Amino acid sequence: MTASFHDQVIAILPKLRVQALALTRNRSVAEDLVQDTVCNALAAQDSFVMGTNFAAWMHRILRNRFISDLRKKREVGNIDDTPQSLLSVSGRHEDRLALKELDAALARLPDDQREALVLGVLEGMSYQELADVAGCAVGTAKSRVFRARRQLEVWLMGEEEGGVSGKAGAETTTRASSTRRKTRTARNTTRNAQQTA
Amino acid sequence: MGKRRDDAHSRKPKKKRDKAFDLWLKRGLHQMFDNVVNEPVPEELLKLIQEDREKQD
Repeated sequence: MTASFHDQVIAILPKLRVQALALTRNRSVAEDLVQDTVCNALAAQDSFVMGTNFAAWMHRILRNRFISDLRKKREVGNIDDTPQSLLSVSGRHEDRLALKELDAALARLPDDQREALVLGVLEGMSYQELADVAGCAVGTAKSRVFRARRQLEVWLMGEEEGGVSGKAGAETTTRASSTRRKTRTARNTTRNAQQTA
Repeated sequence: MGKRRDDAHSRKPKKKRDKAFDLWLKRGLHQMFDNVVNEPVPEELLKLIQEDREKQD
């Protein structure tokens, strides 16, 4: 039983890294967050009920730890501290530029939207799983993914019609003109994606 | 009526664009995060887990 718990911890580490990086946007802070999460999980292993959703339990611990650290520090995310290895992918210049734009746009998303989008798209988490991780309603999780995706489209593709309501929407309007220049690269690479699909 | 037809017409390419954007977004996120996922787990962290495992056994 205990061995199985530890094996599960090891197996989920890559996914925790993705979540930590999505939340912190800082490689070394993300590594620390994962380590702290593991420490918390090991200390609380008796409270985990076998047979329940282990992944959601671990992701929730990480999320709570992130929020708690954020409250202490009040400053974690930093666009300038973007892990360069994230962007040092090989490929055409245009692709790298598009990735940098995507990275900058991701950094502007609210933490909870970025987390939901990354876990949903990369880890294939369902809205129910995302809701379990975030401790919110399924509808809220769904809305976070939708708004994040829509907001990225607005920023990267210059899609302004239909708007995104609320704070993000207002921000979109004021920033749209400054980001319009950047949309060409993303549009081109999206077109390439469409052609190769 | 005519407007509705126009809307339907303009929605089609939008759907295609949405699909292409989703695909591009997915690829972009994979490119950004996959190397992090594939990195080896730090020895220190594995040691921490292993020590706790031995303590529990």
